[in-house]
Amino acid sequence: MRKTLPIFGVFRLPPLARREALWGLAFLSPWILGFILLTLLPMLATFGFTFTNITLTQEQPLRFVGIENYQTLFKDPQFWKSLGVNLKYGLLALPVGLALPLILALLLNSRYIKAPALFRTLFYLPYVIPFVAGFFAWSSMLNPENGWINEGLRALGMQNPPYWLNDIRWVYPALVIIGLWGIGSSMVINLASLQGVPTELYDAARVDGAGWWGSLLNVTLPMISPVIFYGLILGVIEVFQYFLVPLVMNTGTGAPGGATMFYNLYLYKTFFTFQNMSYGATLAWVLFAIILVFTLILFKTSKFWVFYAGENQ
Amino acid sequence: MKRTVFTLVILLTVLTSLVSACSPKPAGTTEPTQASVPEQGQPTQSSEITSDNQAVEIRWFIGLGTGDDPAQVESEKKIVEQFNAEHPNIKLVMEVVNYNGARDALATEIASGNPPDIVGPVGVSGAEAFHGQWLDLTSLVEKTKYDLDQFDKGAVDFYRVGGEGLIGLPFAIFPSMLYYQRDMFDEAGLNYPPHKYGEKYKWADGTEVEWNYDTLRELAMKLTVDKNGKDATNPSFDPQNISQYGYEPQYQDPRAVGGYFKAGSLVADDGKTAQIPDAWADSWHWLYDGVWNDHYIPNDAVRQSSEYNSGNPFNSGKVAMALTHLWYTCCLVDAGQNWDMAVVPSYIGTTTANFNADTFRILKDTKHPDEAFEVVTYLIGPASLELLDIYEGMPARKTDQEAFFKTLDEQFPQEVDWQVAVDGIAYADNPNFEAYMPNYNEAFDRINTFFTLITSTEGLDLDKEIDTLKSDLQVIFDKAD
Repeated sequence: MRKTLPIFGVFRLPPLARREALWGLAFLSPWILGFILLTLLPMLATFGFTFTNITLTQEQPLRFVGIENYQTLFKDPQFWKSLGVNLKYGLLALPVGLALPLILALLLNSRYIKAPALFRTLFYLPYVIPFVAGFFAWSSMLNPENGWINEGLRALGMQNPPYWLNDIRWVYPALVIIGLWGIGSSMVINLASLQGVPTELYDAARVDGAGWWGSLLNVTLPMISPVIFYGLILGVIEVFQYFLVPLVMNTGTGAPGGATMFYNLYLYKTFFTFQNMSYGATLAWVLFAIILVFTLILFKTSKFWVFYAGENQ
Repeated sequence: MKRTVFTLVILLTVLTSLVSACSPKPAGTTEPTQASVPEQGQPTQSSEITSDNQAVEIRWFIGLGTGDDPAQVESEKKIVEQFNAEHPNIKLVMEVVNYNGARDALATEIASGNPPDIVGPVGVSGAEAFHGQWLDLTSLVEKTKYDLDQFDKGAVDFYRVGGEGLIGLPFAIFPSMLYYQRDMFDEAGLNYPPHKYGEKYKWADGTEVEWNYDTLRELAMKLTVDKNGKDATNPSFDPQNISQYGYEPQYQDPRAVGGYFKAGSLVADDGKTAQIPDAWADSWHWLYDGVWNDHYIPNDAVRQSSEYNSGNPFNSGKVAMALTHLWYTCCLVDAGQNWDMAVVPSYIGTTTANFNADTFRILKDTKHPDEAFEVVTYLIGPASLELLDIYEGMPARKTDQEAFFKTLDEQFPQEVDWQVAVDGIAYADNPNFEAYMPNYNEAFDRINTFFTLITSTEGLDLDKEIDTLKSDLQVIFDKAD
């Protein structure tokens, strides 16, 4: 039987079902039209831009340039530098962003903890604060001269505590610390998955002589591996799309010394500050391809470590 | 029947919402970030004319240079009201955008086919970010018989750009000079730096030396003091605990730092090859050593700290000297009332006091060039003294300069030697350090990244970084082809 798009299948339905389906489509039409006009078509248009020389001010006549923008991109040192910035940040942020919410969830899931609901709320609370407001609070705390963190380090005897956001060696740890502000959501997801692990599996592990570590490695982690995988996929995407903090920090200059010129910030500046729409679109599509490749690699490798209950693995 | 009507109503509602959401805003509609002239303050006559659609609307974009400060905006509003009252044929409307977002905002307005008519005040750097977008005023000057003789020929020629014509008229000029704190010199027992170009510097023991960057370095080290009261020339000086710095290149980018050594450009005469003038490389070595080896210039972290006024260290009152421009009087609130100004030092026998100049420009896509020109000549004419006062700009028109300095004297009663500023005009840099580079905005961004790198990172191989800057600039310039 030949398959058709559901929208065309409507006309083959019986009259009553067809009427209902048409009403459904009528109510969905604002979203469908909005998606097509405001998302899909602009997306496709940006792909077309990558083969032209469109700039915001268009000093030169508009022309087709073939793959020139892609060739420029691979020769562009800032493209590689920005990718490097994301990777350096990701190498630090991803492990912390995956491990810390899991550790917190394990602690909150412990039967020995008192008032777990209170701790859950406290850990989740920063997540509801707008990220930009959170950044300003953190940048004050990380102030080299009078921030609480350096005041604390001085009180502990450190003569010259780090300059954090103003030092290219310390800016990534500082950004990771700021990112911890938002781990409440991941913690709740991890906690929910931990609470979904069947208790009889722990009973069976105990009967087999497994201790806490044994249960964690052989029962808990395999059972929640789909959630860890989900977190990893989202984490990788977030690392490549990291934008808001570097934009707000130093008004998007990439300071100190270009260490915060993340890929997305470079993309944004190419569009709006450097006014080069074609090249900005090229950067955007290459970013899409990079994220796609990383995601596909993760999906391909997932069969070796992600356990789905019910599958024969 | 009811069902059909209901369906039609839904479809019409959806279509109406879509059409209204997608339709462009009428020209002159102000965004929330823009400040338009309040209706309450509009003269009746102007409002009536506008409602009759007889007045031509001219949009004035503010923020690409100075002018977005709330206090300045208030004065600008008054000038707009006055203009509108006197010119019933034109309705002048302000668009104020925060400086940090002004380049993006203007680029977007131009791209969307909804550009303003007038932009300003804007300096060379802000204008070059929109290279090729400015209207050649030659024919309008001829048509209206506008008198260019009221300005120095040099000031007019500053705006004659090859291939683009006359793209501005002189308004405000900002020579550069060395600001210094008299008290800090007195405390250290040092003589003040020279106030006349060509004069030597006299040390406390009476010996006289050339007023150059070696002398400035030595002086700045003597004025840099640690928490134990030892200066930076003392072997037991503690660079980790500095309480007063000797020098700051205040609000100067690497091109300006280079331009003080010698006039030059990062692009060769062919207009597309990246180059680093030797004198500029020397100036960056001088700066780098000052930050990391001799410790008389604050590093980026110190400069950005609240203790050093978040990027405005000279104003903190903890820095003895700063090379910058005359517009810096705008930002001297906490620096005390005993600062003065001295001349710019020389480099290998030549002095270059680099130069800033602001004016109002007309975008070439304006639909009303005649009216826009009328507004510009009003702003640089009858309204100029009031505007120059709020922008802290030195009048390009010679006859207005005395009144300008009198106003500054009221603001800074410590008897500042303003003649230093006037004398500095003769040492202006040519080519100007902010002059055209291909792909201006991206090149400017890369240069600023170089600046934060060298002021935030100790132990760099500076020559290697300079080579990297040059090759990166070449890639950026090539993108413009």
